[in-house]
Amino acid sequence: MSPAALLTRLLHLIPVLLGVTVVVFLMMAATPGDPAEVMLAGQQATPAQVAALRHDMGLDRPPLERFGLFVGHAVRGQFGQSLFHRRPVAQVIAERLPATIELSLAALVFALVVAIPLGVLAAVKRGGWLDRAATFGTLLGVSLPGFWFGILLLIGFAVQWRLLPVSGEIDYDAQPPGVTGFLLVDSVLAGRLDSLLNTLAHLALPAITLGLPMAAILMRVTRSSMLDVLRQDYITFAEAKGLSRGRVLLVHALKNALLPTVTVAALETGALLGGNMVVETVFGWPGLGRLVVESIFVRNYPLVQAAVLLYAVTFVLLNFCADLLYTILNPRVRM
Amino acid sequence: MRNNAAFIAFFAACLAAAPLAAGAAELRIGFTSDPLTLDPANHRSRETETIIRLIYSGLAANALDMTVVPDVAKSWQWIDPKILQVTLRDGVKFQGGETMTADDVVYSFTRLLKEGAVGGQTSPRKGLLGPVTEVAKVDDRTVRFVLSEPWPVLPAMLTFQEVVSKDFTEKVGTPGLATQADGTGSFGLVQWRRGDSLVLERFPGFFGGPSDIPPAGKACVDRVIVKIIPENAARVAALLAGDVDLINDLPAHDIRTVEANANTRVAAVNGTRTFFVALNNGKKPFDDVRVRQAANYAVDRQVIIDRILNGRAAALNGVMSPAAFGFNPDLPAYGYDPAKAKELLAEAGYANGIDVMLDTDGPQKDTAEAIASLLTRAGIRTKVQVGEAAQLRARWAPDGTRDGDMWISSWGNGSLDPTDIFVPTLRTKDRGNAAGYANPEVDKLLDAAGLETDQAKRAELYRDAQAIVNRQAPWIFLWLPQDLYGASKRLVGWQPLASGMLNLRDACVR
Repeated sequence: MSPAALLTRLLHLIPVLLGVTVVVFLMMAATPGDPAEVMLAGQQATPAQVAALRHDMGLDRPPLERFGLFVGHAVRGQFGQSLFHRRPVAQVIAERLPATIELSLAALVFALVVAIPLGVLAAVKRGGWLDRAATFGTLLGVSLPGFWFGILLLIGFAVQWRLLPVSGEIDYDAQPPGVTGFLLVDSVLAGRLDSLLNTLAHLALPAITLGLPMAAILMRVTRSSMLDVLRQDYITFAEAKGLSRGRVLLVHALKNALLPTVTVAALETGALLGGNMVVETVFGWPGLGRLVVESIFVRNYPLVQAAVLLYAVTFVLLNFCADLLYTILNPRVRM
Repeated sequence: MRNNAAFIAFFAACLAAAPLAAGAAELRIGFTSDPLTLDPANHRSRETETIIRLIYSGLAANALDMTVVPDVAKSWQWIDPKILQVTLRDGVKFQGGETMTADDVVYSFTRLLKEGAVGGQTSPRKGLLGPVTEVAKVDDRTVRFVLSEPWPVLPAMLTFQEVVSKDFTEKVGTPGLATQADGTGSFGLVQWRRGDSLVLERFPGFFGGPSDIPPAGKACVDRVIVKIIPENAARVAALLAGDVDLINDLPAHDIRTVEANANTRVAAVNGTRTFFVALNNGKKPFDDVRVRQAANYAVDRQVIIDRILNGRAAALNGVMSPAAFGFNPDLPAYGYDPAKAKELLAEAGYANGIDVMLDTDGPQKDTAEAIASLLTRAGIRTKVQVGEAAQLRARWAPDGTRDGDMWISSWGNGSLDPTDIFVPTLRTKDRGNAAGYANPEVDKLLDAAGLETDQAKRAELYRDAQAIVNRQAPWIFLWLPQDLYGASKRLVGWQPLASGMLNLRDACVR
C-alpha cells in the first residue's frame, strides 16, 4: 500500500469515529433512566438531592452542550469522570484493559491453533469422518450461545471434575510482581512457572468459550479455501513432479489457502470485543467488557461513550490491518 | 510521615505474615460486584459499602436484630432535639497505627456534608445525613452533631457512614482514598485487583467492635479474599466447587442445589425492602376503602410467596419490616377470603365486579400476573401492563399523571426506621406516595413522631399510624423478601445481617 493510500485509510477513521460517537450519545440519551436516580437508588432520594447530584454530574446541561463537551474532551484524549467510580474514565478503563487484551489474544490463539489444522485435515480428507465431525463441530461452535456454553464448561471442569478454577484471573498466592499488567508476560518476566500455570488455568475456560465461535468460522474458511487450492493446476503439477504429499500440502497449498483465513481472523478479532462482554461476565474476568455491561445498566454515560469509542477505534484498526495483511500476503492486490 | 512509617510497619507485618500464611485461616467470599471506590464518602452503593465496612468502622452499627448500637462511638445523647452529642471510644486505632480522635470524626463528616469537599465534588452520601448542618469538636473524645430541625433518626443513619483518618486522607487526597484505605475496621486492605478480587488481612490493632455485639474481639480468620463473581450461576458454581466459602445474593432457584450439596448450606435473613401494590386512592374504584380492603382479601400472599418466591419472604400487614423500629406486631392480617372480597365489592356498589389495570416493570411481571389472576377470581378483573421502571415511577409520582389503577412497587428501608419508608410513601403528597394516600390523622402522627426524641413515645406514635393504615388499606400489602446467602459448612460463627453488611469478625473457617 502506498503512503497516500495508507493516509487515506487512516483519514477514513475520522468520520467513522464521529458517527459512532453521535450514535452512542443519541442511544444513551434516548434510553430511559437517569444516572443520578440510579445512584440514589431511584425513588429513595428527595427531588432536591437528585437535582443536586444531577448538577454535580453535569447532567443538568442541555444534551447538545454535553455532547460538545464530550467531543471536546475526547479529542484531547480525556473522557471526563466516571459518574459512579468518581474517578477519571481513562483511569478506570486502563485498569481493565490488560485483562481484556490478554483474554482476546488467548482466544485468538486458541481459535487459530484449532481451526487451521482441522480445516486442512477436513479438506484433505473431504467427506471422511473427520470432515463430517469437524463440520458438525463448526455448526455447534457458531450456534452455541457463549453464556450457556461457558456455564456448561464451568459446571464440568470446575464443579464436577475440579480441574480448573471457576472464576477470576489468578490466585492471590500465585501473583507475579506487576510490571506490564499482563499476567502471562509478568509471569515470564519474573520467571515464575507457578504464576504462568495459574494464569493459564484461569484463562483456559474463558478463552475457549470466547474463541470457539471464531474457531468454527476460521475452520470453515480454511477448509473451503484449501479445497479451492487443492483443485488448482499447480497442485496437480507439484504432485506430478513427485513432491511428497506433506510438502505439497504445507508449502504449496496451505500458504495460499491461508490468505482468506488471515483476513477473516483479523476481522473476527473485532467480533471478539462483543463476545468479551458475555464471557467476562460469566467467568468473573476483570476486563473491559464486563465493566461496559455494568456501566450500561447504571447509565454511566461517560464510561460507555469512551469504551465504545475505544471499541470502534480497535475495530477500524483491525479492519485496516486485515487489508494491510491481505496486500502483503497477496501480491496481486498490491497497490 | 508518621503515616508512612506506620503503613510501612503494617505492610511489613503483613508481608512477614505471608510466609506463615500457608496454614493460616483464609475466608474466601464470592461477591456480586466490585466496589466502585474504597472512599467511604464517594459512592451510593450498598455492595460498595459492604466491602468498605470490612475495612472501616462507623460511629454506629447494627446488631443482629438491627438495633442501633455504638461502634467507634462509646455513647450518644440528645442535648436538645437539634443537638446530638457523641462520645468516642478510647484507644481506637487506624490500620496505619494512629489513634482515632474527634478531629478524624469531624473531618469525615465535614467531607460528607460540605459542598465540593470530595475532590471538588459533593458527597453523594450527603443526603443520608438529612438536616445535619455541622459536626463540631467539643474535646478530643467528644463531637456534636448540629441539626437545622429535629431528626430523631440520626443515630440509625450514622450506621451508613464511616470514619476516615484525617492525616491519611490529606496525605493521599481524594484520588488516593479511592484505591487505598486506612480504616479502623477488623481487616486491613492488602490488595485490590480491580474487577477481580480484594485481599484483606486481619488488623491486629482492631479495637474489638461494638461492645453491644458480643463477643467483642479481633477477627477469627487471618485473611479474607473477596472474589468478584457477578454471574449468578458462576457464583453458585464457585461455592459448590469449594472455591469460595460464602456467596451473597444466592438466586432463589438455586436454593435446592445448595441445600442438596453435602458441603454447603443456605443462610437467609429478612431483607429491608417492602413490596406492595399501590392502589390509586385518588380515583375510582380504589377511592373507596371497601374496594381496597376487598383487594387485600382477594390476594393469597402465602401462595405467591411459596410458589414464586420459593417461600423466601415474610408476609406483611403494613408498611414496615418486623425488624424495623416501631413495628406494630398486632396488625390484623387480611386473610385470603375471596367471598368476603366479593361481599365488600357489592357493598361498595360493584356487585358485578370491576375492571382495572395493574402496572408492573419487567422483573415483577410474574408476580403481577399471579396477583392479577387472584384478584380476577374475586371479581376485580385485572389486566397486567408491563412498563419501563423509570417511566412508571414518573407516572406514579405525586406530580405525575397518576392515571393508573394499581402499581406493583417496592421501597427499600436500609435504616429500618419509619422515617425512611413510612413518611415518604404514605404521608400526604410525600415523594414516594404512589397511592396518593392522604390522611390528616396519619400525617399528624408521623409529624409528631418525626420530632419526638423520646424513643418509646416515638415508637408508640408509629404503631398507632400503622394501625390506621392497616385498616384503610391504601395498598395491597405484600411481603418482605429475604436476602439469601450460600455458605460452606466449613464456615462457622457467621450470620447474615438485614442491612446487607458482612460481619466477618466472628466468622471462622474450620
